[in-house]
Amino acid sequence: MLDERKVRLMTSLAMYEQGQGKEDFKVSEYYRKDYTGMHILFSIFWTTVGYACIAGLVVLAGLKYFMENMSVKLFVTIGIAAVVGYLAVVIIYAVITSHIYNKKHKDARQRVKRYNHNLTKLLKMYEKENK
Amino acid sequence: MDSLFVLRERFQELYARNSKIIDKAVQFVVALTAFYLINKNVGFMKLASSPAVILALAVICTFFPMLMTIIAASVLILAHMYAVSLAALGVTAVIFLIMYIFYFRITPKMALVVLLTPMAFAFKIPCVIPIAYALISAPSAIVAVGCGAIVYYMMEYVKKAAAGMKGSDAAGLMGQVSAYAKTVFQNKEMWVAIAACIICFLVVYTVRRQSVNHAWKIAVIAGAVVNIIIITAGDMYFGLNSQFGSLIIGGAAGIVVGLIMELFLFSVDYSRSERFEYEDDEYHYYVKAVPKLSVSTPEKTVKRINGHRETEIIDAAEVRKRSRKQGRNPQIKEGAPSRSHDMDEVEKMLLTQSLKQDLNLK
Repeated sequence: MLDERKVRLMTSLAMYEQGQGKEDFKVSEYYRKDYTGMHILFSIFWTTVGYACIAGLVVLAGLKYFMENMSVKLFVTIGIAAVVGYLAVVIIYAVITSHIYNKKHKDARQRVKRYNHNLTKLLKMYEKENK
Repeated sequence: MDSLFVLRERFQELYARNSKIIDKAVQFVVALTAFYLINKNVGFMKLASSPAVILALAVICTFFPMLMTIIAASVLILAHMYAVSLAALGVTAVIFLIMYIFYFRITPKMALVVLLTPMAFAFKIPCVIPIAYALISAPSAIVAVGCGAIVYYMMEYVKKAAAGMKGSDAAGLMGQVSAYAKTVFQNKEMWVAIAACIICFLVVYTVRRQSVNHAWKIAVIAGAVVNIIIITAGDMYFGLNSQFGSLIIGGAAGIVVGLIMELFLFSVDYSRSERFEYEDDEYHYYVKAVPKLSVSTPEKTVKRINGHRETEIIDAAEVRKRSRKQGRNPQIKEGAPSRSHDMDEVEKMLLTQSLKQDLNLK
């Protein structure tokens, strides 16, 4: 005889396992600080690459101007602006990344907790059935 | 108005029944349109621009998640850029990389906006995207709309300047890269369009979250008007020669799309809204509750006046079993021979019977 409650529970568990759960299990393997820290490091790396790309494009777009007006003063000014800009972008992105991945970890942990709770419920149903 | 809600219910029922097929059909249409527009604007590589290739690509993308369509569109653009020149390929690839690093790495779902925005620009209805996304998403979508506008104007530039970009010596390449990067980032029309999209988005997003009656309608109309005003002002200031006819049509399309979205996503009955006021230890609350509109679809009942009787389905095995039993029990009495009726008489009997049933006559 089919137990409707059990079927419902198993369906929801299977849906979670095959969908969102895949990522959630990976996320919840880490402590929140480790997970966020790892992504902040990735973010700093990618931001550096992106910033270098933007700087390259800006230099290429203004190549003619730079060649015509090149002086030590202009060179130093551009250098300082580039470094300040880089630090600002890296800090902003680190903050955004920290916020996003903290939330992601928190949500994933909550979903995994709910999944474990449902799994325990299912186990109890089986135990009751076997008695 | 009620018929609109009934229509909405019917659409929702239809979608609920066939959601998988409809989703895939929409994905196929989006992919095909995107690839067609790419080929129409920057179709410089002959092999990649044939209709058979884009059709095959669209069919393949249909069976994968939406992200695959976006990746395929990016690769198609890069292939065409490679056919133009290495400089075009380099700059376009770097711009795509920057977009990925700073935005889509964090919110990959928003990549669809970058696909839809250039399509809306190509159809001369750019206003539709900021209005639609401001109604359903968070302000972070602004970045994606801006990126989509950059992609469109990048393709526009290559379309116009492709003939002059062919050349492979080092000095020529540097000149092309410099000119391409400069034109893309100093395109005043692009910056005006981006500013118009961003302000339109913010206006719609801010107004639709207010508790005023008909907030969504006001937001959509205000957004479209603001978009038209900003582009007109930018046009007058920079002397851009925008087409005002298509600008107004674009605004009208934005309003229509916004109203359709309101019908499906936010239909409430403001005439029955209620206001409450109460307090607890820490706060004083002013609450406005607006009931949702729900219309049940009328069910069609078909009344048959002269209904045909259902044909009895005869179970052959059962008949054989009975006939065998009859053979074993010869004492079973045979029934009276059936009267033969002509067809008119049968029709009359059926009509009388069904009328009796309908009118509850005994």
